[in-house]
Amino acid sequence: MIRFILHKNAERRCKRGELPSGICGYIRCFDDSHLLSRPLDEVRFVVFDTETTGFDTSNDVVISIGAVALDGFKINVNDSFEVLIRRDSVGDSEAVTTHGLLLKDLHEGAEEKDALNGFLAYTGDGVLVAQHADYDVAMINRMLRKRYGFDLFNQVIDTASLAKRLEKGPYYNLAHKSGEYRLDTLLERYGIRLYDRHTAAGDAYLTAQLFQMLLMKAEKSGIKTLRDLLLK
Amino acid sequence: MPSNTIVERVVADLRKYPPFDELAPDILQGLAESVSLTYHEEGEIIFHKGDSLRDHAFMVMKGAVRLFDSVEDKEVLVDLCDEGDIFGVRAIFSKHDYVLTAQVAEESLLFELPVDRIRHLLETDPRFSLFFAGAFAKSVEEIEHTLTEALDPGLSRFREQSYMTFLENETLEVKPVTSVVTCSPDILIREAAKIMSDKGIGSIIVVSPERHPLGIVTDTDLTKKVVSVPGSVKEQPVSTIMSSPVYTISGGKTIADMVMLMVKTKLRHFCITEDGSAQSPITGIISEHDIIISEGNNPAVIMKAVMQASGPDQLKEQRDKAESLLQVYIEQDVAMHFISNIVTEINDAIITRAIDFSLQELDDDGSVQRPEIGFCWLSLGSEGRKEQLLRTDQDNAILYEDPPPDVAEQVHEYFLALGKKVTGMLQHCGFVRCPADIMASNPVWCQPVSAWKRYFSKWIVTPEPKAVMHSTIFFDFRPVYGQTELGAELKQEIFSLISKNRGFLGFFAKNALQNPPPLGFFRNFLVEKSRDHANEFDIKARAMMPLCDAARVLTYELTVPEYLSTAERFKRLEKLVPGMQDLGTEAAAAYEFLMRLRAVNGLANGNSGRYIKPETLNKLERQTLRNVFSTIEKVQKMLNLRFQLDYIRD
Repeated sequence: MIRFILHKNAERRCKRGELPSGICGYIRCFDDSHLLSRPLDEVRFVVFDTETTGFDTSNDVVISIGAVALDGFKINVNDSFEVLIRRDSVGDSEAVTTHGLLLKDLHEGAEEKDALNGFLAYTGDGVLVAQHADYDVAMINRMLRKRYGFDLFNQVIDTASLAKRLEKGPYYNLAHKSGEYRLDTLLERYGIRLYDRHTAAGDAYLTAQLFQMLLMKAEKSGIKTLRDLLLK
Repeated sequence: MPSNTIVERVVADLRKYPPFDELAPDILQGLAESVSLTYHEEGEIIFHKGDSLRDHAFMVMKGAVRLFDSVEDKEVLVDLCDEGDIFGVRAIFSKHDYVLTAQVAEESLLFELPVDRIRHLLETDPRFSLFFAGAFAKSVEEIEHTLTEALDPGLSRFREQSYMTFLENETLEVKPVTSVVTCSPDILIREAAKIMSDKGIGSIIVVSPERHPLGIVTDTDLTKKVVSVPGSVKEQPVSTIMSSPVYTISGGKTIADMVMLMVKTKLRHFCITEDGSAQSPITGIISEHDIIISEGNNPAVIMKAVMQASGPDQLKEQRDKAESLLQVYIEQDVAMHFISNIVTEINDAIITRAIDFSLQELDDDGSVQRPEIGFCWLSLGSEGRKEQLLRTDQDNAILYEDPPPDVAEQVHEYFLALGKKVTGMLQHCGFVRCPADIMASNPVWCQPVSAWKRYFSKWIVTPEPKAVMHSTIFFDFRPVYGQTELGAELKQEIFSLISKNRGFLGFFAKNALQNPPPLGFFRNFLVEKSRDHANEFDIKARAMMPLCDAARVLTYELTVPEYLSTAERFKRLEKLVPGMQDLGTEAAAAYEFLMRLRAVNGLANGNSGRYIKPETLNKLERQTLRNVFSTIEKVQKMLNLRFQLDYIRD
């Protein structure tokens, strides 16, 4: 309900011309009231990942976003997205060793505004999917909130939670053994070949392969619609 | 714009397998952008027989997919696809429904390749279309893309490439010496010798007034025919000592051509004339020296050393050298017929020399008397077919003129002694003794013409499956030394026996059909129609013998008198058998591919190369083998039809 109100609010701001037209395009595409009842093979999922300067959602910033869509259970290479964001800092040395991006790489990146607009235009009303999605969504939302004063309107699925739910049932306590649902561990468990980890697009592609398998598993276990998948 | 990182990832995956490994980077990138990735669980059906075609073909990235046909509720396995295999290509070539069912055998990740993209590539990239033409002949019946199409341009590519790298300079044209020193046939030997020493040259060409080459006088001629002979020969005209006629060729020959020519003719000088015949003016000369000076380890050098060897040890040394030469040729992808010709010439020369040495030793020894009876040394089996690249077992025999009855025993004793000496020397050179003892040292296989005729008569007149199978080796005999007329006589006798006993050909053909070809490979297994899988591939029994047997039957049916290799037989048959035009070339190409593969395997493992581990085959070799198997099937079908073998019971 809150989401509904915020969305209405954002639409109103668009009508008043308070938001750029690209952003309004994003806001307007959430008009499908039947989205939740669609069968899984009729939903466009956008599997994405971000690289950041660190892990502090209130201070660190996104330096790259990568994404690939999964539609009708297929990963379409052509329907993918990747952007670097120009920054003055790449984060501390620990972050740099993780994402491998240097300052000079980031100089070639896009303006944050353009990167964000690009990502929203690409995503549209697709269901966002990410490994430990809360974190990536929070990072995107921080940019959005600062610039436009709203959060992502998309439905979100966390692959770690989905894997846990399919493997152990919905009430298993994830906190106890977090290592079991790290991306590396999951990929290994599902037999997905690792390469290129820790670029946003590379991780998004791997996560998409994982999600593809999870989705098939989900459908087999009786999860038929997006609503079932989102436990709504 | 799709994500570069992801597209690159897909490019890297595609590039691991043919035909994508050959695509230009930008084209591959375009293709990668258009693919979709799907995941399938075990047992899932990708498409059913009779389903309408999708707008994409499939490539297995991980896992395995089985393709089968259903005939009267029974599943017939047609193919198993693993990583890198492409299936469902009907969608590219055909308009009709799928004819097979594709089912996931192990959970799989598949790439879907859009058909319109592939069609576009087929039109623009010849190598790409070559791959599809060859690799999928089997699954696309409407378009009978045959192995010939697939291999022929491939072979010519091999050839170009090979000659380019083949000891670097073998493609170069041999530059003949164009300032040829000539003289008329009437000048005196003394004068000719003076010209030669003044000009510092080793030979002089004797020409007619029109400058047509008549003969040649070399240093050796002067030494042998003049200096060492008593009396004043020097005052006679050169025409009395010149070697004549000279071997004439046309210009533009490459080093490879010349090496082959030298090995074949055992000559050392070649005259180039305007039209290549002896009836046209001389324009240049190429000597052995010109050819050999450019390189070290070449067949002509080996050949020369064999011819000049003073004992068996040197023969062994040269045969070892020939083997390293073979390795170089194989690595350089030199055309197979070239390699097998060279190796056969060297093998034959070694046998010839071994016989020379043995005759000499027997003479020196004196315990057996050399009879005044002509004989002929026969190579049998693969050596008889000029196909023995690696030193496998020796199979040979002696055929001699029928002796007068009173000396028959001594004559047999002598040739047997010869057979024992020669086979012993060949064994010393690395040719292992035949386990079945089919050698000239065995009294049974060292016989006069009449006995050999009886043997063949028995095999042909009262054929019996097992005996036929064991006798095939003899039908490939080839005279290597001595009176080749004896071989020709035997061959004519065989033709005549066969013409009176047509039933024999049926047995002979049936023998060629004993082994239906396998389907192909799946990971480290050979996949059979019968669903038994083997983890070793017997290239001789499963692929070479069926082709070789078929070619033999047909050449005997059509009374081809020459002693030909399997590939040569198929090429000949193409001209003789209506309706075999393309199949002949296809089968010849297939056989040469198999010979090469066997040699590569043998060299890598230091053995006969007969048993191949499927895991050592790369994707392209597997795909080519699959095509070869389908060629074998076609040859067998043809044979079956020709001899109506369905009516013959075992």
